[in-house]
Amino acid sequence: MKIIEACHLTKKFGELTAVEDLSLTVEQGEVLGFLGPNGAGKTTTIRMLSGIISPTSGYAWIGDYRTDGEIEHLHESIGLLTETPGFYEKLSARRNLEFFAGFYPNIEIKARVEKYLKTMGLWERRQSRVGTFSKGMKQRLALARALLHEPKVLFLDEPTAGLDPEAAREVRELVKKLSSEGRTIFLSTHNLTEAEQLCHRIAVIRTKLLAVDSGQNLRHRFFRREAVIRLDNPGGTVVEAVKKLAFVEDLREEADRLVLVLSEPDKNRPELVNAIVGAGGRILEVSEREHPLEEIYLKLMREEK
Amino acid sequence: MSRKRIINVLLKEWQFLFTDINSVLLVTLVPLLIVGQLILYVWLGATFAGESALNINIFQNALANLQSATPTVAALSGSEQFQVLLLSQFNLFMLLIPLMIAVSVATFSIVDEKLSGSLEALLATPVKTWELLLGKALAGAIPALMVTWICAGVFLLAVAIMGWGYLLGMVVTPVWFISLFLFTPAVTVLSFLLGVIGSSRARDAKGAQNLVVFVVLPVLALITIQVTGIIWFTTLSALLLALGIVLADVIVLRIAVRLFQRESIIVQWR
Ligand SMILES: Nc1ncnc2c1ncn2[C@@H]1O[C@H](COP(=O)(O)OP(=O)(O)O)[C@@H](O)[C@H]1O
Ligand SMILES: [Mg+2]
Repeated sequence: MKIIEACHLTKKFGELTAVEDLSLTVEQGEVLGFLGPNGAGKTTTIRMLSGIISPTSGYAWIGDYRTDGEIEHLHESIGLLTETPGFYEKLSARRNLEFFAGFYPNIEIKARVEKYLKTMGLWERRQSRVGTFSKGMKQRLALARALLHEPKVLFLDEPTAGLDPEAAREVRELVKKLSSEGRTIFLSTHNLTEAEQLCHRIAVIRTKLLAVDSGQNLRHRFFRREAVIRLDNPGGTVVEAVKKLAFVEDLREEADRLVLVLSEPDKNRPELVNAIVGAGGRILEVSEREHPLEEIYLKLMREEK
Repeated sequence: MSRKRIINVLLKEWQFLFTDINSVLLVTLVPLLIVGQLILYVWLGATFAGESALNINIFQNALANLQSATPTVAALSGSEQFQVLLLSQFNLFMLLIPLMIAVSVATFSIVDEKLSGSLEALLATPVKTWELLLGKALAGAIPALMVTWICAGVFLLAVAIMGWGYLLGMVVTPVWFISLFLFTPAVTVLSFLLGVIGSSRARDAKGAQNLVVFVVLPVLALITIQVTGIIWFTTLSALLLALGIVLADVIVLRIAVRLFQRESIIVQWR
């Protein structure tokens, strides 16, 4: 079931087009990575989807609500982690959350605040002013704020940007946990590893949407799969035998390895192995070369220029 | 639900206001300084200027106006008439108190949220623009008016202690009540709204607070034209002016809500 549906969203700031004709959908329970370099329009898209700014053209649905309709109800069903945490630094962590919780109908404010301070490991520090918190703690508090009203959809705008590795890891763990609870998450990031670790699908954006797919599918779309055979006895006879196989489209030798492109990788691999063994090859390892997502990303960026 | 959200904003603003020493000083010390200054002026004027001030041309018209508005004044001695004239200005001077408080509180409360980024998180909640503005308006206006009324009381008390109690009957007229309880609240709301407009456009609190000039100047102008006798507020004209300002409030509120477009307020902070 679709829970986010963006229809031709475009946002212009004067002359500058920040987001152009963006259409995509996110399924319930899915974690969508929204990947793009700085200035790609990630934050602008999230602001449009969460009804904070209005698009120049286009619209979006979040569940049953349209971004140009009853925004109040839309806001009841989303949680937003903004790019900068943004708290009242002079007030305590607990008071901050109580204030934000106070805008949602039908929630038991004290209980919710306690629950999420505990979830985020901040209960002990509930009385401290937010101004005394580290970046990582503020980020966890901001996550607590985004979750208070238990929204259907979570928008996370670069949740680990600017955090030290330890704090970033903690935040990623929390995101994984939220995802395992079945929440729909729209996560913007410029960190490829993060996108790959956390997201079911990745949308690559640079003003326009360049691609949307799972990391695996993106790999297959942009790079041909390569089988890698490591041999104990690399050399002529084996290579000759392999070259004769009809389904081998390309062959390279790299030290003790043969790197091959096969017409139908999953089907051809057993035959390939047979042929090599038949030619006296002693196979140490058969694997498939994984192209780092980075290469795909860079390729997309280059094509765009 | 709206009421709950407005109160939520209001209480947060107050907590914020009263944990900030500058704001507390603004709301307590500044008004007292203004009142102290007024009392000093009245005392200086009455003690040193006395009868001779009556011969100054610019006061002649004002005195004539005063006498026609409050005929009993004519029976007083020259220096007493002058005192009544000075004391009658005080309610306009008192306007400075809510003006300064409202503008400062309004601009700080919005510019702060813009700069800290809390505004964006706030706009993602179900709060509506008018609820947010009204909550903030009340948070500024309520203490500002309370303080103003307390100051008015302090002023009257001080005047009585200085032995001029018998003149107060000529100062505390219907115009005085209209001014303090109708005109002042209306002007307070107006200056708050101007503060909101300023801060939804300005990049920092300082820029927004330059607006203070635009609300303080008209008040000073009002005092000048009254002291120099160009106009004198009768009950009717004071009432009309107050109603005019209430009308301006409604118009400016609409402008403020429009200018406080969620969009522009986030866009402008970059
Ligand atoms: N409020 C704004 N006013 C003018 N330009 C903006 C504004 N917000 C974003 N932009 C511009 O739009 C583009 C996309 O910005 P943004 O959505 O913040 O990118 P990202 O979050 O991917 O880094 C950038 O060129 C940025 O300068
Ligand atoms: Mg961004």
